Amino acid sequence: MRIVLLLVTTLLAFSAMAETPHGYPFQSFDKAMQQAKTENKPLFVYFGRYGCGYCEKTNKEAFSDKQVREAYTKHYVLAYVDSESGKRLRLPSGERVTEREVGTRYNAFVTPVFTFMTADGKPLLRLVGVQRIEDLREADSKVQQLLAKSGKP
Amino acid sequence: MRLQIAWFWLLLTVAPLSVQAQPWEFDKPIAVTKTQGEKIFHHLESAGRHNIAISTDTVAVAWEDNRDGTPRIYLARKGRNSQSFSAAVKISGGGEAFEPSLVALSTNRFALAWEEDARIHMRLVTPTKLGPIFTLGESEAMQASLANHDQQLLLVYSRRDGRYGRIWMQHIEIDGQTLRPKQVCAVDAEPVRDEQLYPTVISLADRIIVAWEDRRPGHTIIMAAQTDNQKSCHFRSPQRISAASPGRSAAYGKGHGVARVALAQYGTGQLVAVWADKRDFREGYDIYSANYQPGNKQLFGPNIRVQDGFGGVAQQWHATVAGDPSGRLVVGWDDKRDGDANIMLSWRDDNGWSDDFAVPGADSAGEQNHPTISLDQEGNLYLAWIERTTIDGPTRVRYLFGKAIKQ
Repeated sequence: MRIVLLLVTTLLAFSAMAETPHGYPFQSFDKAMQQAKTENKPLFVYFGRYGCGYCEKTNKEAFSDKQVREAYTKHYVLAYVDSESGKRLRLPSGERVTEREVGTRYNAFVTPVFTFMTADGKPLLRLVGVQRIEDLREADSKVQQLLAKSGKP
Repeated sequence: MRLQIAWFWLLLTVAPLSVQAQPWEFDKPIAVTKTQGEKIFHHLESAGRHNIAISTDTVAVAWEDNRDGTPRIYLARKGRNSQSFSAAVKISGGGEAFEPSLVALSTNRFALAWEEDARIHMRLVTPTKLGPIFTLGESEAMQASLANHDQQLLLVYSRRDGRYGRIWMQHIEIDGQTLRPKQVCAVDAEPVRDEQLYPTVISLADRIIVAWEDRRPGHTIIMAAQTDNQKSCHFRSPQRISAASPGRSAAYGKGHGVARVALAQYGTGQLVAVWADKRDFREGYDIYSANYQPGNKQLFGPNIRVQDGFGGVAQQWHATVAGDPSGRLVVGWDDKRDGDANIMLSWRDDNGWSDDFAVPGADSAGEQNHPTISLDQEGNLYLAWIERTTIDGPTRVRYLFGKAIKQ
C-alpha cells in the first residue's frame, strides 16, 4: 500500500513538475493580476504548455534553486498561463478570454516564455526559452533595478 | 539605370499574372455590428471556427460580446448582395455564453450551439423566427461544434468525465422549430486518460468524422475517428492525425504542441484537417494540414505545412478552412509577418498550397485576427474577423466578400 501511495505521489509530483515548478505559489493570470494590483507588486508570468520540454528543464535546473525561489516568491506575484488551454479568465478590462488567447496576445509563440510585468500589465522584461539559474537571478536584478529607477512596482 | 528599367518592365509583366492567379476579387470590408466601443469585446471563437455560414441568399455571422456587461451570443444576417448587416439578434439566454458554432441549413435557416453556464445550448433561426433554446441536460459541457447532417444536426462537445474532458457526439433531430436529442455516444469508447478538447465534426455521404485535441501522450496531439456509416453513433478506434516531432529532445519534452483543429469538406467526399502546430519550436505555431484517406488504414495522410517560407519566421494563429463542391479549398489564419496581425489565405493549387496572400482590407493598421471563412457552391469566399487597435482595446467585427474569379 505504501509503495502504491509513494508511486501515486511521485506521479502527481511529476505531473506538477511538467507545468509549474515545485514550491512556487503560481496562480491563474487574472487572479495574479488582481493580487498584484492589491499588493502593488510586479508580476512574473510563466507561459508554458502541457508537455513542454524546456519548461520541465527550466523547472528542474533553474527554479529548483533556493535563492531563485526566495527572490521570485518575495518580489513578484506569480502567474502561470497554459498557452494551449481553453480555461477562461477575466482580464482587468473586463474582457473574458481563454488562457490560449492571453498567450497569443503576449506572443508566447514558444514555451516557456517568462514575462515580468508591472501591476497594471505593462511588460518590463521577457525571457524566451530554457533558462539557467544565473539567467533568472540576472533577470530579477534587472527588473528590480528598473522598478527602483521608475519608482513603480 | 538600364537594369532598373528592366526590373520595372519585368514587374509590370509579372504583376498582372500574380493578381490573376488570385482566385477571388475582394469587396471592401463592412461592419458586422454597429455595437462597439469602450469596454466592448467581440470574440469570433468556436471549436472548428464555425462562425460564418451561408444559406440560400443569406450570410450569417455569430459571435460573442459583452455589450450589456455579460458575454452573450449574437447573430447578424444580410442578403448576399446587401451592403450591410441587419441589427444583431441576441441568441443566448441569461447566463454567460461563449463560443457559438454556426451551421447553415436549407432555405435561409441556421442552427447555433454554444456554451452557457457550463452547459451546451442550441437554437434554430429562420428568416422570421428564433426557435426555443434547447439545453443539453449534461453539466460541465463546453466547446460545442455543429455540422449539417442531411438537414439534421450533429453536435460534438467536450464534457467532464471525472478529471478530464471527453468528446461526445449527439444526433439532433430538427422538427419544425424544435430540436430533439437522439443517439449520443463517446467518440472514443476507451476510458478517458487525459484531456479531450475542442472537437469538430463533418458528415460525409457514408460516414461521420470527428477530430479533436487530445492530451493522452502527455502533450497535445490532434486525433480523429470515423463511424461505420452515416447513421451510426459507433466510432472505430481513434487515430492520431498530427505527426510526432522528428526525434525526441529536451525542446519537445513529451512532444511538441498543437492546437485547435478545423475540418472542411471539398470536391466529392474529400476532407481536410488543419491545425496550429509547433513542431518547428523556434518559430512558434505553423499551420499544418492532412487529407482524409478513405479506404486507407491510416485515416489521414502526411502532414503538410500550409503557409509558405515567408510565413516560417512569423507565428500563425487561428486556422480556419473551407471547401466547395468543385474542389476549391482555402485555409485562413492570422500572422504578424508584417508587424501587426493580418488575415492571410492559402488555397490548394496544382502545386499543393499556394503562396500566402494577405487579404486586402483585412491587412490594415492594428490587429486583424481570429478569421472565420466559408465558401458557397460557386466558390465565393465569405470572411469575418476581429479588428482591434491595442492589445486590450475595444474590438470590431469585420466582414468581406471575395467573388470567385473563373480560372
